[in-house]
Amino acid sequence: MPQQFQQTQHEEQQSGGEDQVLASGAAQQQEDFDVLDSVLDDIESTLETSAEDYVSSFVQKGGE
Amino acid sequence: MPQLRDSSTRAMHERTGMRDGFERIFGIETEYGVSVTGADKAVDAGQVAMTMFQPVVSRARSTNTYLDNGSRLYLDVGSHPEYATAEAADPMDALEQDLAGEHIMRRLALDAQHRLRAGHGDHATIHVFKNNVDSAGHAFGCHENYLVRRFVNLELIEEQLLPFLITRQLYTGAGRFAESGFQITQRADFLDEAVSSATTRARPMINTRDEAHADPESYRRLHVIIGDSNRSQWATWLKLATTHLVLCVIEDAVRRGVPSGFEGLALADPTEANRTVSRFLDDPEAGLAVKGADGEANGRTLTAMRIQRRYFDVVEAFVHEHGDAIAAGLPRTSPEAILDAWRWALDALERGDMAALAQRVDWAVKYRLAEAVRRRKPQVSRTALERLELEYHDVANGRLYGSLVAHGQLRRIADRDAGDKAVDTPPQGTRAALRGRFVRVAREANAQFSCDWTTCTLASPVRREAVLLDPFDAHSTAEFTALMDALRGEAGGVR
Repeated sequence: MPQQFQQTQHEEQQSGGEDQVLASGAAQQQEDFDVLDSVLDDIESTLETSAEDYVSSFVQKGGE
Repeated sequence: MPQLRDSSTRAMHERTGMRDGFERIFGIETEYGVSVTGADKAVDAGQVAMTMFQPVVSRARSTNTYLDNGSRLYLDVGSHPEYATAEAADPMDALEQDLAGEHIMRRLALDAQHRLRAGHGDHATIHVFKNNVDSAGHAFGCHENYLVRRFVNLELIEEQLLPFLITRQLYTGAGRFAESGFQITQRADFLDEAVSSATTRARPMINTRDEAHADPESYRRLHVIIGDSNRSQWATWLKLATTHLVLCVIEDAVRRGVPSGFEGLALADPTEANRTVSRFLDDPEAGLAVKGADGEANGRTLTAMRIQRRYFDVVEAFVHEHGDAIAAGLPRTSPEAILDAWRWALDALERGDMAALAQRVDWAVKYRLAEAVRRRKPQVSRTALERLELEYHDVANGRLYGSLVAHGQLRRIADRDAGDKAVDTPPQGTRAALRGRFVRVAREANAQFSCDWTTCTLASPVRREAVLLDPFDAHSTAEFTALMDALRGEAGGVR
């Protein structure tokens, strides 16, 4: 996370006061990432294919 | 609004058909990008798009057609399948119609993929990206249309609406892993003008092409180009809903000849401000230069958040005063629900609460996913992250969006089957209902027909057309009834 956005978040947590709040925040964060890990597991087989080929195959000519 | 109904304005409104409340027509035009992977031989975007549109061409004899839900489906310049929702009277209707567009693109793509595999191998896979930039840096659009009362001039739009449109991207941006780093919008680097009539040579943020698709004396159609394609339903709904409320404030101020409260926010350099907002995560406190009373930059700057708070405060006060009248103009969405969602977004941004934002805001979803990937693989390449983000935008074969929803990481706000239903059902309470009925009956009768936004035309067995100039009117006219009679070959119609 970029520094300042992270800092804002950090200050907010501190202004929340107690260590417990910070601890539960950290636990919550871990839990959130666990869920995102399951999401990444779901699409793992897709992501194993060559990213380079996949990305470079997408060329349009522009529109609007 | 009651206090405005003096005899002169009433007479004017009766003459021009202008609504004097807060009704609005909403529409979203989405250009999709296409590609094929896994094929035995290369397939370019033009081939993919034409293969997708084969069934459309064989039915409509054209790559430009209108559908049973009143929407327009066509193949745009640059091989972009494009879907334009029919006229919606509520942001929720527009969202559902936009979701119908995703369904239609998926069906066309999977059908085309089946045919493509016959000649290109069993692994050929079609991708249809609801995003705004390809791997070579070509940008394409997601345009919003708002019917706005004609008395709101374009200068006011630039001074009082554009700063909102640029800063709303804090919660409506779709995000992009750009070469120079992560940006919260897809297209900021591709837009180079504030307000103009061009769309392809130069890229303005607001297009002034004056096609009201309604009585031009009463209305203009505001064509908003600055906006990303959203996969987040919440973002699609909220961008229309908040923009609507800001427009209500501006219209009301002009109507009454009073200040709107959005004075002093006009940006000195909108293009520069747009690029700064897109780099919000590099510096959330970056100042955007605003103009002084003389129209020149005077060294004063405001942060994007500050500008959003100012819009929010003015709109909140306005809703408290005119809530009932605004609610009367929106069939489904309550003004309070809009304020709640908007306030939530600004609070979450101020807290820097990325986990909360990632449940609703497209750019934050991507940002958080990239963090999760880096936890597994710290040296992940930008190409791999681009691959991940394309997976998110792929409405045909992408699995990422569905997985995020299934794991409760991304909130849906429409009913599960709402998009599917909207494929066959026009939005209610607008002329889209009439167009949709005409298209369905004409198609079932194998009649030759065509449409544009204000006209339904039957070419054979008899030639007849109906003009539907008032987008707010879902009631049949004598002309439309005659058209439908002709279509059904009834005695009264065919003469």
